Amino acid sequence: MQSSAANLLVLVPLLPLLGAIGTVLLGRRLGPRAHIPAVAGIGAAAVVALLLLLGTAAQVGAGHGDPLRPAEPVEMITTLWQWATVGDARSGDLAGGLSAPVAPGAADSGGTFSIPIALRLDPLTATLLTIITGVGLLVAIYSIGYMHDDPGYPRFFALVAMFVFSMSMLVAASNFLLVYVFWEAVGACSYLLIGFWYTKPEAARAAKKAFLVNRVGDFGLAIATFLLWMTYGTLDFHDTHLADGTIVEGILGQIRLADEAGYVGGAVGTAICLLMLLAACGKSAQMPLHVWLPDAMEGPTPASALIHAATMVTAGIYLITRSAPLFVGCPGALTMVSIVGATTALVAALIATVQNDLKRVLAYSTISQLGYMFVALGTGTMLGFTAAIFHLVTHAFFKALLFLGAGSVMHAMGGVIDMRRFGGLRHVMPITAGTFLVGAFALAGVPPFAGFFSKDEILATLHAKAHPEAHGSDHAEAGSAGERPRDLAGGVGLVASVPVRPFRPGSMITRVSLSDAHDVSPEAHDVSPEKVGLDALDHPSTWRLLFWMSLLTAGLTAFYTFRAVFMTFTGPVRVPKEAGHHAHESPPAMTTPLLVLAGLSALAGLVLFVTNALSNFLAATPSLTAPAVARTAVPHVFHWDIAIQGTLAAAIGIAVAAIGHLGRRSDSPQLERYLGPLGTLFANKFYFDQIYAALIVKPLEALAMVTAFFDRAIVDGTVDAIGQVPLAWGSAIRRMQSGLVQRYALAGVVGVLAIVLALAWQLRP
Amino acid sequence: MNPFSPANHLLLVILTPLVGALAAWLLGSRGVSAVRQSAAVTTLITLAGAVLLILRALPEVTAGHAFAVSEGPWLVDGPFDIRFSLGLDGLSIWLFGLSALLSVTAVMVSWEAIKEKPVGFYILLLVLESAMLGVFAARDVILFYVFFEFTLVPLFFLIGIWGHDDRRRAAVKFFIYTLAGSVLAFLGLLTIVLWNASHTGTLSFDIATLTTGLAAHPLPMDAQGGWLQWWVFLALFAGFAVKVPIVPFHTWLPLAHVEAPTGGSVDLAGVLLKIGIYGFLRFSLPMLPEATAAAAPWILGLGVVGILYGALVALAQTDLKRLIAYSSVSHMGYCVMGIAALEPVAVEGATLQLINHGLSAAGLFALVGMIYERYHTRSIANLGGIAARAPWLAFMFLLFTFSSIGLPGLNGFVGEFMVLLGSFQRAWGGVAAEWRTPYLTMAVASVAGVVLGAWYMLWAVERVFFGASRQPPAHDHADHGHAAPSAAEHGADGGHGGHGGHGHSHAAAEPTDDLRWYEWVALAPLALFVLWIGLFPATFLGPSAVAVRTAMAPGAAAFAARMGAPHDASLPQTAQADAATILPGAAIVPSDPPLTAGLERIP
Repeated sequence: MQSSAANLLVLVPLLPLLGAIGTVLLGRRLGPRAHIPAVAGIGAAAVVALLLLLGTAAQVGAGHGDPLRPAEPVEMITTLWQWATVGDARSGDLAGGLSAPVAPGAADSGGTFSIPIALRLDPLTATLLTIITGVGLLVAIYSIGYMHDDPGYPRFFALVAMFVFSMSMLVAASNFLLVYVFWEAVGACSYLLIGFWYTKPEAARAAKKAFLVNRVGDFGLAIATFLLWMTYGTLDFHDTHLADGTIVEGILGQIRLADEAGYVGGAVGTAICLLMLLAACGKSAQMPLHVWLPDAMEGPTPASALIHAATMVTAGIYLITRSAPLFVGCPGALTMVSIVGATTALVAALIATVQNDLKRVLAYSTISQLGYMFVALGTGTMLGFTAAIFHLVTHAFFKALLFLGAGSVMHAMGGVIDMRRFGGLRHVMPITAGTFLVGAFALAGVPPFAGFFSKDEILATLHAKAHPEAHGSDHAEAGSAGERPRDLAGGVGLVASVPVRPFRPGSMITRVSLSDAHDVSPEAHDVSPEKVGLDALDHPSTWRLLFWMSLLTAGLTAFYTFRAVFMTFTGPVRVPKEAGHHAHESPPAMTTPLLVLAGLSALAGLVLFVTNALSNFLAATPSLTAPAVARTAVPHVFHWDIAIQGTLAAAIGIAVAAIGHLGRRSDSPQLERYLGPLGTLFANKFYFDQIYAALIVKPLEALAMVTAFFDRAIVDGTVDAIGQVPLAWGSAIRRMQSGLVQRYALAGVVGVLAIVLALAWQLRP
Repeated sequence: MNPFSPANHLLLVILTPLVGALAAWLLGSRGVSAVRQSAAVTTLITLAGAVLLILRALPEVTAGHAFAVSEGPWLVDGPFDIRFSLGLDGLSIWLFGLSALLSVTAVMVSWEAIKEKPVGFYILLLVLESAMLGVFAARDVILFYVFFEFTLVPLFFLIGIWGHDDRRRAAVKFFIYTLAGSVLAFLGLLTIVLWNASHTGTLSFDIATLTTGLAAHPLPMDAQGGWLQWWVFLALFAGFAVKVPIVPFHTWLPLAHVEAPTGGSVDLAGVLLKIGIYGFLRFSLPMLPEATAAAAPWILGLGVVGILYGALVALAQTDLKRLIAYSSVSHMGYCVMGIAALEPVAVEGATLQLINHGLSAAGLFALVGMIYERYHTRSIANLGGIAARAPWLAFMFLLFTFSSIGLPGLNGFVGEFMVLLGSFQRAWGGVAAEWRTPYLTMAVASVAGVVLGAWYMLWAVERVFFGASRQPPAHDHADHGHAAPSAAEHGADGGHGGHGGHGHSHAAAEPTDDLRWYEWVALAPLALFVLWIGLFPATFLGPSAVAVRTAMAPGAAAFAARMGAPHDASLPQTAQADAATILPGAAIVPSDPPLTAGLERIP
């Protein structure tokens, strides 16, 4: 079973890779069928990923139904080859470093800089692999219709398959270095896809911008990786059992996870987490690194769908979830995740309310929804992590649906995407309109569509952090349920028995303070002397603010989504003249994926929420079995109060959109005229691009010019000035350039000989 | 005597280009194609010989021994013991192979470009190849120096005769600058020889003998001994730093590159710059450990300055070749930083980075040459949209760009990452408390170079390859010129593509200017190694590991003795304090063993 699962796991990235290679090799010969290798590769990978998901679910099995019973961690590692090995890499280490007693957090537990190409399978990876390959497959099928007749047809499919390969490797890698490798590879794929129509200057510029902004994030991940290596002496996630019986403790291995004191907090831990947050902000387009995503729609629309739904932007969410044990040890950094997320969610939603480009509205909604996931991650609770992934899943469905729907509109409208030139398109393309409406309901969080449930869980987990007293009853249950001894480590048992305690941030990493006096009431830690610096942010009042920001964002989301729906699909029929004879419903290759995604967007949320299958499943992810996370598990209940608040917010948003846009011509004056200067601010995207140009790009370019001048005038000038002295002396023979050099060579040799003789005399034995 | 003994094999590989040069001279009257064909065959035979030799050498070299050692008497009369002694070890083996590989590229990129005086050109190129191979194989100080100087002369003429407009100034500047440096280096090497002789009684020039001799009797590093080690180090530094080049001794490089013919640029960037770092590893680190340790922080600083300075100047360039020349300055900064960090990971990374930069810089210079041949300009402003006309050329440029900016999966990443990792390691636990902040600052700053590097390279790619065509098409395809704008229009109409028969309407997108067969021969092997090293770096790291370790061990030990971390410190003190105050019971990383402990085991 182990080995067959390992083989299957390797197939998930391998098949798309083979598809990409096949497309490159056979592309020209296959002509209009060049999509076959790529689609077949991704499709087969999707089937394998689904099998793996089911297999992993069967293995988790026992944990179902009781969220309070800590799940046994489920993981499987398979190592393909050693990428690089530098034995005894730390000059300070003894060769016996590996056989030295393994201490938690010890830097000398792995003196060998050894990077295995190791893949892992656990619930988190299985979930994401299924989403990546599944949505990737639908996007690829859609592209058969969308990209037909494009001169770069084979190139497009090769890149899509490469993208799916890179992303699968990113979530399957069991090593921080490998994560970094594919983190950058995903960036390179997006660079090539965004710049797909490279003769278009905007596309080339957008591609470069995406890569560079992502590089800033990569900078963070690189340094975080170095710090992790320095702190933990390995970069592996998993524990490695060496042939001689010793164990190299992985950073997210089960030994360290079970150890309450396994993780470094304080300044170093916070630095690592903040650098990872920077990296996640780059990939997942969070402020201040969100600026690349709206421009990225210069690429083909299916590529946008892929970037926004299945690949790329989910990488940041994945990284933080995977690193959950590192983050929960640093409450300040964790709170920063939520603050970044909530701020981004709100700002992006505000910008989206005044955009007139359908794809741009969707792009900002992606940024905003990713902000939601960040908010949830930042709570650091079991519900927060699972809700973020839950939202990631539902968002992948409905955002892929919306983007592909927008692409369908664009396809039919001759490349026009300005909503002010559309109207009543539901009469022209009913399937696109109907499925888009389903996606819109899901995005707006209207019950019972998918987005409603995942958003509801996010709001619930925020509410729990904002009002710890109100949720005390949940935790009390958790406490009583968890009194029985636990053995989280699956037999390793370094922490044999830790009673489940009420969640209290300050005490998460501590081993001894569980029995200390100062832990009981939630209010007590307001004055706790432990809270200094960034950690002081972790305060109920902060969370209250974040909750209200998120609720406001929910209302705004419903507003801009339905503004787009009303502008595009309702009112009198208006079709731009560029559409020509294309103004009809798209071909089946495009509508079929839309219908499948519409079904998923409508039902997935309800099914996953009612059964609570996803949360129970994810709870067996090793990272989430860390005691600090596991003890925050709460019973699975439906919070009516929060659901009503969320639904009300959505209803208000839709109502305002209806008042402003339903039944009107989409080019008639819009609601934003009431916003005054704020409207200008939103329309200009809070001037982020301009601020970056003024604060970073221009000064750096100026500095580059100054440095170049300095190089020419001062550095080289000095060299030339020194060179002038002998040149003046030899001006008589300047005409013979080579003669001059020979003379210098001769002079040099004579001089050297003279000095040699002098030295030889001095040092004679 | 076995004619196929390793020693003879090595000698044969080094001499083959000279034989080829003779053949080119004899074939001179038969015209360009005979000469270039003979040069191509010569370089290919040399490459084959070098590859075979490397395959034979791998087991021995991996174990840390020198291979194919030969000891021909040369100048052994009287007190002198100068031998024609050759051999390969872990430090030199890949550089040796790289020299043979890039020589093929250098010939192939000159295929159509050199029509004027081809005999002289190819003779010089082959003599240069011989000299490059010899530098890395020399086991004798005098022999090393002779080959070292002998790389200068052919390149001087290559630049001075076949270069571009300002070739004379470039050639003279290149020659005098590097000669001045290398004369000082020679002085330093002679001092080492004489010092060793004064203690052992024999005037040996053998590098291995000198290394052990100086380990037993180090040059004095105090006022009493006249700081002799320090002066020798500075003399060697002068020679090697100019060669690398380390900022601020770099200004000959952009000039020489821009003016050099493409073949010369390939050899210059690909191999000659590596001799500087090789010199540090071969001489400074093992023979002058105390001075190296004393200078290490400053050299590390110069490396970081070079990374950022080179990147910034590159950002301001308008000439594509000049931009890549400055990117070389920036990338060699990583190598400098790596050896100055004196950490095993970093030094091994720097050694690999030498090869990586050799591949990517040579590839980029070759491609710039190809662009220049087609469009007769290197000005970034005058180029544009090449990807539509020459997709494979654009693909190759993008590949080498990605390699150069350290994209994972390609070779550049491996070296860069190891260098940076090692530098962080040094900063974290390998220096005394007062040095920690400067070291960490330098390490973080050098990572910023990764962002800047991507900026200028992708900016150039965007301007030169993407967008609408700006330059007239290559001269032999002038009739396709009018179709260029339609490519731009096609891109603009976005999603639905040109319905119906664009096969004819997009004539400009036809790859009319794409790579020719000889250009494929020049680039494909480099591309292969770019991928190979990226995916399986262990193949290349393994064989050099022991030699690199041995070479750096004295320097690292001296560094640890001089300014290593005190025994009880591992994490920064502040971090420990924070961890203790904020999180009672949080894991405190236990202390490292003393830095010197691991090094004593290295012979």
